[in-house]
Amino acid sequence: MFRLQGGRVLAVDMTGDAVRAKNGAMVAYDGQMAFRKLSGGGEGIRGMVTRRITGEQMTVMEVKGHGTCWFADRAAEITLVGLQGDKLYVESSNLLATDGGLRTGTSFTGLRGASQGNGLFTTTVEGHGQAAITSDGPAVVLRVSPQYPLSVDPGAYVAHQGNLRQSFQSGVTFRTFTGEGGGEAFQIRFEGDGLVYVQPSERNTIAGDV
Amino acid sequence: MSTHATPGGPAVFDPATLPADDNVNPYTFCVELKGTQWFLQKGKMIAYYGSIDFNGVGHGRLERLVRTSFHSPLHASDWVVADGSGKMLLADRAFDVNSFDLEDGNLTVRAGNLLAFQPSLSLKQSIVPGFLTLLGTGRFVAASNGPVVFMEPPIRVDPQALVGWADCPSPCHHYDHGYLTGVLGGLRAMTGLGGASGEEHQFEFVGAGTVLLQSTETLMSEQNTGAVPHEPGVPGGGMSGGHGAQAAAPRLPGQLGDLQRRFGL
Repeated sequence: MFRLQGGRVLAVDMTGDAVRAKNGAMVAYDGQMAFRKLSGGGEGIRGMVTRRITGEQMTVMEVKGHGTCWFADRAAEITLVGLQGDKLYVESSNLLATDGGLRTGTSFTGLRGASQGNGLFTTTVEGHGQAAITSDGPAVVLRVSPQYPLSVDPGAYVAHQGNLRQSFQSGVTFRTFTGEGGGEAFQIRFEGDGLVYVQPSERNTIAGDV
Repeated sequence: MSTHATPGGPAVFDPATLPADDNVNPYTFCVELKGTQWFLQKGKMIAYYGSIDFNGVGHGRLERLVRTSFHSPLHASDWVVADGSGKMLLADRAFDVNSFDLEDGNLTVRAGNLLAFQPSLSLKQSIVPGFLTLLGTGRFVAASNGPVVFMEPPIRVDPQALVGWADCPSPCHHYDHGYLTGVLGGLRAMTGLGGASGEEHQFEFVGAGTVLLQSTETLMSEQNTGAVPHEPGVPGGGMSGGHGAQAAAPRLPGQLGDLQRRFGL
């Protein structure tokens, strides 16, 4: 059972079940806990190889026991995501913890990933349970529905879930090269039905400068 | 009600529930555009619904707007105009953002702290280098590291904590002179030996108005805003009137002057 204690600490109450978390993210625990590093994110040989090839590396530990365990990562704000059989797409650096029953994997993001400076691949989480994601500043959750598509700055994108199509929008024109660009040359456009998580801060991306 | 939200989870926003021209949380501000325009600093938009265009201030179509509300050619390459209809979220490095209303007023703010403003305001460069002045009536959005504190002059403030000032109280430098005079004082100021508190230099505000402070001394990084025209009498303009012989050696902040000058040599 995940709950937030303040905005920046995740408390997980466990009764013999397991949780996967970013390696080294435990800050305190109460009760009996066993920590075990999972090679390759607990995705088996195939997952391990995929992660090595795609550069979407993630060191994960499995925490199992009875009691409460607290997790935090560099005082980043934490958002809880509930999954009911749908899929969450998140950068591996922004994924803090997942329920033991959730499956993680990697997927190709194409140009969006390149424009974020985070590589071409992203991490997926699917199944039934909860996941905790981190962001620089509290994440804003925005709903995308068929009548309301959403455009997001690649540097502020954290995660998305649901049945969304994403496309890459570029506003690069000759004016960008004359220094008179709109400052928002690259955007990811989400269409469909789902949620998008954005953070109030922008990573350094090539999109930030043009 | 929703397909993906978890009970007890974070609030989920859509165009109908996002506030209009108000804060979503202390770090994110939502602007509503209804065929209207806003000026914003490049790269501060994090997401938007609807159809919004972003154009550089130099875009030909915007010439009229720029002529009435944007008078700072040095900052032109940092600013864009958002134009269209929809809702747009602004944020800056997870700093606190706040909106302020001006009513036929004036406000001067550090150039890096200003995020966005309505075109009913007009933006000018302050005589104080690195600051921008907003004149008129309208709303603007500014970022600060930690919440903004409002103070009444007379007050002396730390240079790093200053965000801006409104209604023009007179801003000037203040040095704690007594502690740093004489040869020993000069040495203390230059070397820090003998205990300099680091607070000998302040900005002093007197007169009517309001002074805006942030609650940390972390400066917002600001982009180089270019140079003001090289004219005599323009602060920071490079030409310093009569003292043509003065060396242009870079001086440490807070340093009081050259030692030889102080010895009268």
